[in-house]
Amino acid sequence: MIWIETLINGLLLGGLYALFGLGLSLIFGVMKIANIAHGEMAIGGAFLAIATANFIGLPLVLTVPIILLMAWGFGFALQMAVINRVLGSDPMPPLLMTFGLSIVVQNLLVEMFGADNRSLDIGALGTASIQIGNTSLGVFPLLMFAIALALFGALHWSLHHTRWGRNLRATSDDPEIVGMMGIDRRRVFAMVMGLSAALAALSGMMLAMRGSITPFSGGERLLIAFEVIVIGGLGSIWGSLIGGLVLGIVHVIGLRLDPASGPLYGHLLLLVILLAKPEGLAGKARSR
Amino acid sequence: MLEVEGLDAFYGDFQALFDIGFTQKSGETLALIGANGAGKSSLLHSICGLTSETGTIRLNGAEIGKLPPKVRAELGVSLSPEGRRMFSSLTVRENLQIGANTGRPGPWSLDRVTELFPILEEFANRPASLLSGGQQQMVAIGRALMANPDLLLLDEVSLGLAPVVAEEVMAALASIRGESQMMTILVEQDVSRAIAASDCFVCLLEGRVVLDGVSEGADLGAIGHAYFGEDDA
Repeated sequence: MIWIETLINGLLLGGLYALFGLGLSLIFGVMKIANIAHGEMAIGGAFLAIATANFIGLPLVLTVPIILLMAWGFGFALQMAVINRVLGSDPMPPLLMTFGLSIVVQNLLVEMFGADNRSLDIGALGTASIQIGNTSLGVFPLLMFAIALALFGALHWSLHHTRWGRNLRATSDDPEIVGMMGIDRRRVFAMVMGLSAALAALSGMMLAMRGSITPFSGGERLLIAFEVIVIGGLGSIWGSLIGGLVLGIVHVIGLRLDPASGPLYGHLLLLVILLAKPEGLAGKARSR
Repeated sequence: MLEVEGLDAFYGDFQALFDIGFTQKSGETLALIGANGAGKSSLLHSICGLTSETGTIRLNGAEIGKLPPKVRAELGVSLSPEGRRMFSSLTVRENLQIGANTGRPGPWSLDRVTELFPILEEFANRPASLLSGGQQQMVAIGRALMANPDLLLLDEVSLGLAPVVAEEVMAALASIRGESQMMTILVEQDVSRAIAASDCFVCLLEGRVVLDGVSEGADLGAIGHAYFGEDDA
């Protein structure tokens, strides 16, 4: 029974991991760049939420959508004002740019909040659980998982059934030619960066509701996001979901077997995948 | 009406076109001919705004030479690019729909395009990347037509196609020729086919116009000399 519970808990944690990976995967899929500041976007969003909820005293149901909107605006503006200028055939400038941004955000957070552990208090929801047979499941982890699944579904649907999604996929395929189809690729990139930042902030807030964070948590989150998209398969949103779930299960089982292992088994899994199936679990081998 | 004057075009430091000038009347098809590297594709790209260019490009009286590609597309410039450039993760139908993004009114719609190329109806839900070269070419032309352009630019539509498929594509283009005020610029390797399919022609050599004129009764010998840059004997 304990193993079923462990497995389910791993799956539920995997939903959160998948969300971390999803934002990074979108950026990579459309712009072919890695956003090193992805973890800081998540943690920065969470700290802004902590400031809004704990210090100003706004209820969480208002805080979360406000932070999501702010994150979206931040991502959009960042892309329009900065990253679009350095995008080109060379992947290094955007990489360095976002690396610099991650350091700036991290230091700003330390300056403003100190290095203490902090969390977002969700009250009774945090400890509520439901009993299914002999298995006890947390309501909040279930809720997070449901939100993650719903977001993956909604994104998939909009990519394939809306004009926005069509333009986004076309821009990902051939950004040079889409201008001739009336698409402003810089705007498409900015929309994607906004969406990615909002997804990052959401997963950061969920992390802070589930446990605690410090201004230094971003790097570790970025690592998880990278592992998720490499394990699942680069540039595919379902790859992120699979990668997240698998990584979550491996982390939880690893900790159950060996409580001192930390994320070790996740890293080992990454190594195995890189050796055995470098295109990822859901990825197709690509020739280009 | 398309008027091009004193057009120079650059890719970075490389100058691809020198002082290009020609005019094309509404409803006409212009054949752009020249050897490989003569600047045919560069000229189409500079009309689209995909190079950095100086000079004047006027479409129906409006200066478009300084505008970004998206705005030129909205004003009626549409390109079927060399190599077809399918959006590989989109279906055939989605590729065609993308062409209508500019929202220009006109006769062209999904129905009209599939009437012109019936095979595309059958393959509408397939990924465009799985189609044969000829079918992809039809999608590329259809995608360009979906924009209801005033100026349709067709780059190497028969390149790499089996002769019978190339004939099929050219026949489809011939069937819509002259039915509206739309102008077409056709880049085509086969000079006699290009002349037969056009009202007027411009011959390029090393980025410069070396000969232009009316296609009907054009002197193929003189075009041959211009094409290869031989001095008139």
